[in-house]
Amino acid sequence: MTSLNSRGFYFKFYSLLPIIILFISVLNEFDFNYLNLKYFSFNFPFILIFFFTLKDIKNFDYLLVFLAGLINDTVVGLPLGISSLSFMFICIATSYFRNITIRPNPVKDWFYFLFIISLINSMNYSILTLFFSYNLILMSYLVNTFFTFLFYIIFANLFKYYMKGLDD
Amino acid sequence: MATSRDDFIIAIRSAFLKKSTQQKFSLLTLVVISISIIILSNLDFKVVRYMKNGINELVYRSSFIISVPENFIKNSFFEIREYSTYFKEFKNIKEDLSQLKSKNVSSEILQYENKELKELINDYVSSSDKVLAKIIVDHDSPFLKSIIINKGSKDNIKIGTNVYDQSYLVGRVIEVNFKTSRVLLLSDLNSNVPVTIAPQNIQAIITGSGNNNAQIKYIKKGFSDEFTNESIVYTSGSGAIFKSGIPIGRVISANDTEAKKFNVEFYSDFSQLKYVFAEVVTKIDIKRNNEEAEASVTNQNPMEAKLKILEDELEIIEESNARFKEENESLKNEINTLGEKITGFQTKISEQNETISQFNIETDELIFLRLNLQYGHKCRKSLFNHKGYTVGTSEYKECVLKRGKIND
Repeated sequence: MTSLNSRGFYFKFYSLLPIIILFISVLNEFDFNYLNLKYFSFNFPFILIFFFTLKDIKNFDYLLVFLAGLINDTVVGLPLGISSLSFMFICIATSYFRNITIRPNPVKDWFYFLFIISLINSMNYSILTLFFSYNLILMSYLVNTFFTFLFYIIFANLFKYYMKGLDD
Repeated sequence: MATSRDDFIIAIRSAFLKKSTQQKFSLLTLVVISISIIILSNLDFKVVRYMKNGINELVYRSSFIISVPENFIKNSFFEIREYSTYFKEFKNIKEDLSQLKSKNVSSEILQYENKELKELINDYVSSSDKVLAKIIVDHDSPFLKSIIINKGSKDNIKIGTNVYDQSYLVGRVIEVNFKTSRVLLLSDLNSNVPVTIAPQNIQAIITGSGNNNAQIKYIKKGFSDEFTNESIVYTSGSGAIFKSGIPIGRVISANDTEAKKFNVEFYSDFSQLKYVFAEVVTKIDIKRNNEEAEASVTNQNPMEAKLKILEDELEIIEESNARFKEENESLKNEINTLGEKITGFQTKISEQNETISQFNIETDELIFLRLNLQYGHKCRKSLFNHKGYTVGTSEYKECVLKRGKIND
């Protein structure tokens, strides 16, 4: 009975792992910025949200993603709601992509991801500069988009192992 | 064609509105909430402000806890790197320290002088306390350069409070919560600081470049030709956002040599900040008492006020006169007693002089008698000494004193 309970707990924890990692990454700004490589940065939450909402896994609640966005805004110092809106647009995009896709293809997902993050980063940049008069470096956004796109395929392969573990 | 458009609409509608069994809210609802939050958070309502502060406090603390392992690894890496150059740095620092110690004395003098001059110019003195604050969140975001410190409105931190790394300026507070605050670093693109560039004494504004330096902006054409790598940058105090005279960094030439562009290299390394000082400034009026007195005088009738001033003056003069009289009397008494004392001393002196002269005569007599015993026979007139003198004459005495030598 005890072992069954502990197994249940581990499974629950395992299934909640993506959302836990999402919260840790927004609280911790996991992006290796301290390496001091010029312009180098990537958006890990984008990768995580895109992958797991595309796969429509259990426990990856939109409400929690929305809350993660609010936390991200608070930590980074952006106007409250900007990241939530971005995360929600990723969810909408993946939901739409899931609806129109009959045979999933990782490469197609990858380039669709590039299109989506480019769109969202452009939207973010426009909102922040036009409505909030922020001075931002466009190059930083472009490089961020590029590295996020590059890292997606690496993380997607890692997440596949997680998915395999979840199925087992 | 129509079918594909229908499919698109169905897919979009499904994406926005369809909730799976796990989802509590549709995405459209969450998008609407997001937009509402963006609008609400920019309206300065009291309730919204308190909610925002609450969220900030909670998130900053959580972020600090979550960042502990990463910070530990990061700091360990930096510490190992520091240890490798430890001895060299120690030697350099030792030399620098001895130089700085001597400079410190003169800077202290200047500080006092500066304070005195400011007191003369302004009608208030600004006393400042530097509060030590720990950086709880520093994620070095590529877009916004800001840090979170563990001091807030509870510690009298206000929006605009200057933040220092030792004595170097690092930024200013842009958001205050109860126990935390967000500091916008000088390296941020949105940071503009009015500065003076010495020794050329050129006024300019520096803007963060998003990296660990700043760009010099808004200076007249040709002024940049005067810059050297020795030029230092400090706050000018224009606009009263930053205090004047706070060191920021030194001028370095940008790689773009043709355009003669110059950047500012900060003295402080913002990526290595652990603790900072927040300067809490309080203004103390120094002329208040005088002003109050002046105000009470001007409130009365001007003639009455003048009379009152004259009466006060008269009273003061009378009081001082009486004091002078008293002093005069006491001085006279003192002179009399001193005169008496002087006469007493004078009589004493004459008595003593007499005794001394008596003593001198007696001494001469004693010498004569002693010599008389020895040489008297040589000077005395007798049968065998025709050249001698009669005893008691002055010649005899002279002869004795000359030890028996008779003048021919």
